[in-house]
Amino acid sequence: MAEGEYRSKEVWVTDVSAVTALAHDLDGLWHRILSGDTSIKPVRRFPVDRYTSRVASLMEDLIRPGDQSLTHALLDRLFRKTGPVPSDAFLVTATTKAGIDNLERLRHKIPADPNDILLASIPDIASKMLGLGGRAINISAACASSAIAVARGAALIATGRADAVLVCCLDVVTEFVFSGFSSLGALSPVPCMPFDRERNGLSLGEGAAALMLMSRERAEREGMPHLGTISGWGIAGDAHHITAPARDGRGLIKAVGLALNNAMLKEEDISVISAHGTGTVYNDLMELTAFRYLFGHRRLPVYSVKGAIGHTMGAAGGIEVALGLKTLSEQVVPPTVGLSNPEDDAAGLVSPFAKEMKGDYLLTTNSGFGGTNAAIILKKGEKM
Amino acid sequence: MSLITGIGWVTVSGMGHGRESKDFALSAGQLPSISRKSVFEKPYQHFGRMDEFSRLGLAAIAFALKDAGLDEWTRMRDMGILASTVYGCLQTDIDFFDTVMPGDDQSPSPALFSYTLPNCFLGEAACHFGLMGAAYVINEAYSSGLSAVCNAMDGIACGEFESTLAGVCDLGCPTHFPLEERGVPGAVFLVIEKTPRSGCLPYGSLTMDKNGDIMLDGKKTEDLVGLVKECLRQLNN
Repeated sequence: MAEGEYRSKEVWVTDVSAVTALAHDLDGLWHRILSGDTSIKPVRRFPVDRYTSRVASLMEDLIRPGDQSLTHALLDRLFRKTGPVPSDAFLVTATTKAGIDNLERLRHKIPADPNDILLASIPDIASKMLGLGGRAINISAACASSAIAVARGAALIATGRADAVLVCCLDVVTEFVFSGFSSLGALSPVPCMPFDRERNGLSLGEGAAALMLMSRERAEREGMPHLGTISGWGIAGDAHHITAPARDGRGLIKAVGLALNNAMLKEEDISVISAHGTGTVYNDLMELTAFRYLFGHRRLPVYSVKGAIGHTMGAAGGIEVALGLKTLSEQVVPPTVGLSNPEDDAAGLVSPFAKEMKGDYLLTTNSGFGGTNAAIILKKGEKM
Repeated sequence: MSLITGIGWVTVSGMGHGRESKDFALSAGQLPSISRKSVFEKPYQHFGRMDEFSRLGLAAIAFALKDAGLDEWTRMRDMGILASTVYGCLQTDIDFFDTVMPGDDQSPSPALFSYTLPNCFLGEAACHFGLMGAAYVINEAYSSGLSAVCNAMDGIACGEFESTLAGVCDLGCPTHFPLEERGVPGAVFLVIEKTPRSGCLPYGSLTMDKNGDIMLDGKKTEDLVGLVKECLRQLNN
């Protein structure tokens, strides 16, 4: 393709859906977050007495179909809330561990479909459920997986290689990931408290989201709603450590810079930030360092939804884009559930209460193992 | 248009890079043992502690960067790393979960858990070679090996990075695991640059059409193996 041609395509979001332990649809999720609710509770799915935490945000009513992974049930629940998907849509999925629950079952000598363990199973299952016949890939980049999937979907449309892309992301909470984060000392023994002085780790959560992206031309031609625009995206690495963020926030700073450049915006155009905000000591400090560097004296509202729904890993970025569109649509900054005593640098930025806002652009960020960082800039669309 | 300036691999046939070796093949069989000394001249203490999947990918990346004259660095670089894989770190997943299983006097291993994400070796490569560009893994059930190359071309077109490594990395299906074998084991990476940073003569120019077809010097290529073989053929002519 010719240089410069890629910006000719505007990327619209025409449908969003999300399922989490807090609510089975996006509207329900939005209202429960505004109410300050949390779905982080004692875990019943597997024994947790050996681990450093006993809480997570799980859909305990999710039923595994036969020898299949819980991912099938989660996708089924998600697609019940998803509008029609064009059969020619390019599918970009995101997950960190796909159906790793089936590996657990196989190691325990319980019958399980081994195919569900592969990360590529997710686009395969989703394609079959939706009757899609086009290209399908999965993106895996730790907790930035779905933000990167959104970026890839947007790039496919911006470059003219596709005019309809379904981004679909999910992860389930399993003993595999729970024990792993416990072994790293990363789990909070109580529901996580993003940006709080007393924060002591993350709480795991499970969930899924689907985002229908279309070129403006196709969306207008088909009369699709304009829920918002993916205005810019950026991805960058810390080149520092595979499990710890660079304390100077250099990777995140670079990712946000790329996203602003890509969107042809300046820092002052951003009105609100949906942070990764995991509740670990170092992640939250790193983010505050990066935001201070990028936005200087501006006291931009910042929020994290992980105190409400837990850290949904590979689904986090997608769910946060869906909620970010809702934030812009409603012009309300959601509360940071779990926060009571903000970290010094977070005071005045984060709040345990919902607040009205004015603005057209939201920045959402995610970071993950491997030192990866992703930033997405959303532009307000019509009322959702 | 972008340029291929480096090629590195670890396959059943051996390990090496384009300007040093002509013996490239991707076939079924046993991969060679990868020691630190077989890849890096200087001590790299951390290398021995990595899982096998990470050592495989990191070795192929190291050879590709050496081939492009980009293995030495003093300042962080805006270079991405995109890899496609089928099985990823499944063997490490199994090894980790065996430490979680009750009954033994052991605890879940944090050292193993750290490598239970297939993108972790990209982070290792980024740290070792000072690469700050986008890094992620692409998974397809069956692939031509060109997915990462397509994503690289998109990323360069969108201004996400100026250069990137793109390739494949797979150990194959773990022994005695009830999955069919898909593809062959090995890792192959290309260095793709908009403008070459070192003085190396490029292997050829890459373009991509709107359907995602990859062209080397204007000629359509069907898969990654064919692309690498054509690059090596052109170099030797």
